[in-house]
Amino acid sequence: MDFRRNLIWYLFLAPAVIMLLMFMALPLIQSLELAFFEWNGLRPREYVALENFEDLFDDRFFWGALRHTLIFAAFSTIGTVGIGLMLAMAIARRVRGAALYRFIFYLPVMLPMAVTAALWVRMYEQNFGMLNVMLRSIGLAHLEGTWIASRETALASVIAVAVWQFSGFPMIILLAAIENIPEDLHEAASLDGISEPQRIWHLTLPLIRPVLISIGVLQFIFSLKVFDLVWVMTLGGPAESTSVLGTFLYKEAFRKQEYGYASAVAVVMFIVIFTVTYVYQRLMRVESVEF
Amino acid sequence: MHPERNIIPAAAKRLPGAAVTLLLICWTIVQVYPILFMFITSVKTDKQILNAPFALPDPLKLENYAIVWQGDRVAQPFSTFFINSFTITLGSLVILLFVAGLAGYALARGRFPGNSATQQGFLLTLAVPVHVLIIPMYFFTGQLGLRNSHIGMMLIYATLGLPFTIILMRAYFLSFPRELEEAALLDGCSRFGAFIRVVVPVSRGAIASMAIINISWIWSELFYALVLLDQPQVRTLPLAIAGYRPVSMAAESVIGQQFAIMSLTALPLFVFYFLFQQQIRKGMTAGALR
Repeated sequence: MDFRRNLIWYLFLAPAVIMLLMFMALPLIQSLELAFFEWNGLRPREYVALENFEDLFDDRFFWGALRHTLIFAAFSTIGTVGIGLMLAMAIARRVRGAALYRFIFYLPVMLPMAVTAALWVRMYEQNFGMLNVMLRSIGLAHLEGTWIASRETALASVIAVAVWQFSGFPMIILLAAIENIPEDLHEAASLDGISEPQRIWHLTLPLIRPVLISIGVLQFIFSLKVFDLVWVMTLGGPAESTSVLGTFLYKEAFRKQEYGYASAVAVVMFIVIFTVTYVYQRLMRVESVEF
Repeated sequence: MHPERNIIPAAAKRLPGAAVTLLLICWTIVQVYPILFMFITSVKTDKQILNAPFALPDPLKLENYAIVWQGDRVAQPFSTFFINSFTITLGSLVILLFVAGLAGYALARGRFPGNSATQQGFLLTLAVPVHVLIIPMYFFTGQLGLRNSHIGMMLIYATLGLPFTIILMRAYFLSFPRELEEAALLDGCSRFGAFIRVVVPVSRGAIASMAIINISWIWSELFYALVLLDQPQVRTLPLAIAGYRPVSMAAESVIGQQFAIMSLTALPLFVFYFLFQQQIRKGMTAGALR
């Protein structure tokens, strides 16, 4: 009887559960399994135990990709959250045109990443690209660079594009947090004769700290999954200098047909990102700020 | 409300307003210029693009759009990619919203064994980085005939959007007044009937916000499309852009066309943002702080 009464709820849940099992849980388990095999997709796969992981940890291109991913995530997080915070604080001062600034600074976030990347490939181009042309025309020709075309500057150039595109995202969140601070607190501080830098340091920043940490972690997790920007701008090159876990996984699997090896990469990626995300979710639930 | 506010902050205690304004204006230029550059370049001739990159288009040339739309140097006309992207985005959204709506409603209303376990399960799927699923996905979509298939992409995108959307839907239905459905149930409606006829129409606003939150990532998705759509006639817009990679600008005579493709891909999202800015930004805030 109880089951029959509840049956309708199970039916309501069934499509979601089936889809998630089929397109998420099942591939996840298969990825984990495949990491212990050598397989080129054609011949029968061969069980190799931990060999893929041993090879992976000896593979300097894997370590390179991991290092680039962490550098990309760290610097694009610092860049977007740093700039986003400055913009949010500037706009929160009720500057004239605040609504317009807020509209404009979020605009690049709406761009498909493939478009952003293709656009910046053009901006970075050496001879006719906007960046070098501009530097030349204002007499700073000595600063001209090869940007994404040389190993030394490619990763930094890609990070700059990520910062350009996504600063508006933390800005919106932080602006909402700042505007949530009750007006009375600001007034009390002003009445006490506290200067604005002091007020920012002692009042605004501590109050928005939970949100600041939250958006920082979120941006970091998001950046660990970088693929589109790197793929469209550089394909991981030149000389693998912008290779990240996502592009490394793609190339091992779909360029070299090393499906077992690529699955080992996927497992490492899963462990790193899943752990960070899961811990973040747990922490966020208990942390909240009350006024 | 607080008139004192305008009197108290004395000029000496505030950072110079001019510096703040300068910062805002500089960043506005940095953000807007590349986007304007994209649209302006898309209506220039290639000769003008190379010789006068800063100049305004002279003459304004819409030919780039006409060429890419009908397909010239690209193997497939752009209109194909546009229709593919449109179909996949729309289909994914319909499946996603229907499935997530049902599930969110069941989690919010049903008192059945396994409710909280199911919620925990959905939370777990939220933390799965979707890139790691791609290899098995590639093979079994091949076996099921879902590779190079719009239906396949719709099912996959809908699934990837589920964890997040179900959780938001559940939160919404928790605050949904029970009285409405109870009246329908007393009138002899089934649970499903009450859901479709009473709950869904009243929840139009919430369902629209869920659509708004999901549209832009589906429209822009590259990774799955790159792996699962290898036939030119089924490809989406981001793939068309990613495939257009010239070595040097000088060696290439289709720059204007590439910019036209990029502009046409970005434009629907810009229009959409212009219409729904409030909801989009609110959705972002809610989503990020979940």
